[in-house]
Amino acid sequence: MDVLVPLPVALPLLAAAVLAAVGTFLPAWFGDLVAAVVSVAVTAIGVVLLTRTGRHDLVYWFGGWRPSHGVALGIAFDVDGAGAALGAVAGLLMAASVAFSWRYFDETGPLFHVLLLVFLGAVEGFALSGDLFNLFVFLELMTVAAIALTGYGDEPAPLQGALNFGIVNGFGAFFLLFGIGLLYGRTGALNLAQIGRSLAGGRADGLVLVGFLLVTAGFLVKAGVVPFHFWLADAYAVAPAPVCVLYSGVMSDLGLNAVAKVYWPVFSGPLAAHATALRAILVTLGVVSALLGGAMAFLQRDLKRMLAFVTIGQIGIGLVGIGLLTARSLAGTTLYVVSDGLVRGSLLLVVGVLIRRIRSCDELNARGGGLPVSGVLFAVGGLAIAGLPPVGSFFGRALIEDGATGGYRWLPVVLTAASILSGGALLRAAGRIYLGWGSDREPVLGEEQASPEQEEPAHPPRGSLVVMLASAAALLVVGVGMAAWPGLPGKAVTAAVRTIDRPAHAAEVLEGKPPPHERASAPAPSGTSIAAGLASAAGAVGLALLALFGGLEALARRPVLRLKALHSGIVTDYVTWLTAGIAALGAAFVLALR
Amino acid sequence: MSARTRLPLFLVSAAGLAALLGFGVAGLPAFGDYHGPYGLVLNHVVLAQRHTTNVVAAVVFDYRGFDTLGEELMLFAAVAATALILREAREEEARQVVDSVQSEPVRAAGLAAVPVVILLGLFVVAFGYLTPGGGFQGGTVVALGLLLVYLAAEHRAYRRLTPTQVVDVFEGGGAAAFVALALGALLGGLAFQQNFLPLGRIGALTSGGSIPLLNWATAIEVTAAFVLLFGEFLEEVMVERRPG
Repeated sequence: MDVLVPLPVALPLLAAAVLAAVGTFLPAWFGDLVAAVVSVAVTAIGVVLLTRTGRHDLVYWFGGWRPSHGVALGIAFDVDGAGAALGAVAGLLMAASVAFSWRYFDETGPLFHVLLLVFLGAVEGFALSGDLFNLFVFLELMTVAAIALTGYGDEPAPLQGALNFGIVNGFGAFFLLFGIGLLYGRTGALNLAQIGRSLAGGRADGLVLVGFLLVTAGFLVKAGVVPFHFWLADAYAVAPAPVCVLYSGVMSDLGLNAVAKVYWPVFSGPLAAHATALRAILVTLGVVSALLGGAMAFLQRDLKRMLAFVTIGQIGIGLVGIGLLTARSLAGTTLYVVSDGLVRGSLLLVVGVLIRRIRSCDELNARGGGLPVSGVLFAVGGLAIAGLPPVGSFFGRALIEDGATGGYRWLPVVLTAASILSGGALLRAAGRIYLGWGSDREPVLGEEQASPEQEEPAHPPRGSLVVMLASAAALLVVGVGMAAWPGLPGKAVTAAVRTIDRPAHAAEVLEGKPPPHERASAPAPSGTSIAAGLASAAGAVGLALLALFGGLEALARRPVLRLKALHSGIVTDYVTWLTAGIAALGAAFVLALR
Repeated sequence: MSARTRLPLFLVSAAGLAALLGFGVAGLPAFGDYHGPYGLVLNHVVLAQRHTTNVVAAVVFDYRGFDTLGEELMLFAAVAATALILREAREEEARQVVDSVQSEPVRAAGLAAVPVVILLGLFVVAFGYLTPGGGFQGGTVVALGLLLVYLAAEHRAYRRLTPTQVVDVFEGGGAAAFVALALGALLGGLAFQQNFLPLGRIGALTSGGSIPLLNWATAIEVTAAFVLLFGEFLEEVMVERRPG
């Protein structure tokens, strides 16, 4: 067993505990230093683990309790390429956030960094675990730390967003736990591979379908997929930008990754006969998220809320890749979320610079108020979100689109439309803030969300501005430049082929049998997907220019205003949507998958 | 959404969801007819493998000890979260609150109960892996014993008895010890959280290898966590909040 595997969880949690114990006796910079060292170490370990997953998963049995006769008594981490990559991304995003906010959160002692470290440890556990209940534990740990990080900060009324976060995620966790209970009651197992082996012989009866529904819905709440997404924009709007970086860059992505990580080992056996129907349901869910996220992003003036909806839209595109149920599109999703998550993280840091300088992240208020360097980073980020070839996420989206077969040839068109909306929103904001184009009145975008703080603009010292922009640039370069890693798409497809081979994966986890090594190749992006990428980027630029110079009055129509009004910030609405969403998804499962 | 749309939508969805949950639950084995392998296997192997007479403790601290690590950190994080959010908006100046208990008999009986409750808690901790109990449960009882000081006497006495900086050390220290014991096994070339101590004689307080240490680390963390949590909430009642 690889000795590095438990460290991404153990190091941050140990550091958090030690910092809580002795932090009050030490100078304030100590917390920053510990968080920085640990996140760099976790990033490095993640990269090393990633390079070791080329031929097989890294299966690690805690306490040394290897399974006997296919029965797991202990808990296993099952590190595959996607998990290791997301773990490394989490470390990198946290390192960038810590550098960005150096000495900024001093006043409450070490607690901010303690919670940041707990969050990192939880994220790593969630990314690497191969045990259903253990996934729940780390999901909850992530939530506990995240609620506090959301509710803390200098925004007005941050507790409202934190409360919506807590309540909606609490329901999501409840559904997940209910689903785990059902599956454990049937199989007596918690290890993903072992549950899957136990279910594989049977048919998709009520328990399996409802178990699948509840577990998937629990993860989709975390991922922020429509209609489970409402909490996400409220949380982003109030959380400090360096914390949003972690939410947008990795928390949503991990929720999405967990859907695939549980579907293939556990449910792909009993649901194999219904793959066509399941594909239709999941792709629909993803497409709706992609379009709605893009549209709502375009209707925001608060940049953090805008990026929240961009995240929802991009995660929707990722869900399409998972929902197509092919190795190639699954690999596409992995590449897509990893690269795109880094870009979103970078964009949020650029927004953080704006907040730090002019104390606002309102597109209209900040018109003409941005630094040119930030503007370049923001615009490149916007183009990367749109999927301009050959940035990192383009290769992911190309794999998703090219993995679509049969009745899904229309996907590139829809995904292009979604990308135009998201990218267009960001480029419109970039043009207004950094070039001073357009007007500073757009009634369609609504009243200013956050009450204006009549404070003097801050003048952060030059040195700290350089560090902030450098952290944003570093994330952008890694996210965009991933495409330069030779053979990366092929490696991702190879990993995905192993993920979807359920019997071989189960034998690897439970008996330690090495999986058959098939080096899969990823064909170069097709002409269609290159055209779609170029069209997305050009469309996004065009839409942004149209919005800046043509104004947005044309959007002041009932359906648009109704759509905005649905995102009311009222938590009872959100719980209603959550309930309705699960009931509708469940009805679709029960009708289509039996 | 207006309340007139919300309520019907919620009721219809909730009814649908309830039907779905019922559909799922109907697929479970009949009551009392469970054949899962987990408990059966453990009942056979725990005594031999871990010399621990309380099978649940062996599961919590060893077989599924990694879940416990996560759960322990959850309590730890919840306390840190409470402190982070509440302390931020708190005024320094305390209101003059008269909260001391006026009745001498209540005071005497309450304070006399303090050592008894704490002793009970320590007992629940100490024998947690031999008989029903454990660090989590016992730690809560010890913390409640300390809370009796507030209930029977007054807030200030509770604060004096549990200075935050000192309790912080125990809380962080307990959690750190739990993780460090797991990492220690790694240094010895074993798996993370693997036992590295002699298993001892079955039924003795020294049995179970590293389980007693994990048990006490948990007890310290849980006690300190609840003491801090009570303290934060009491402070919240006693201290004026910053306006706005």
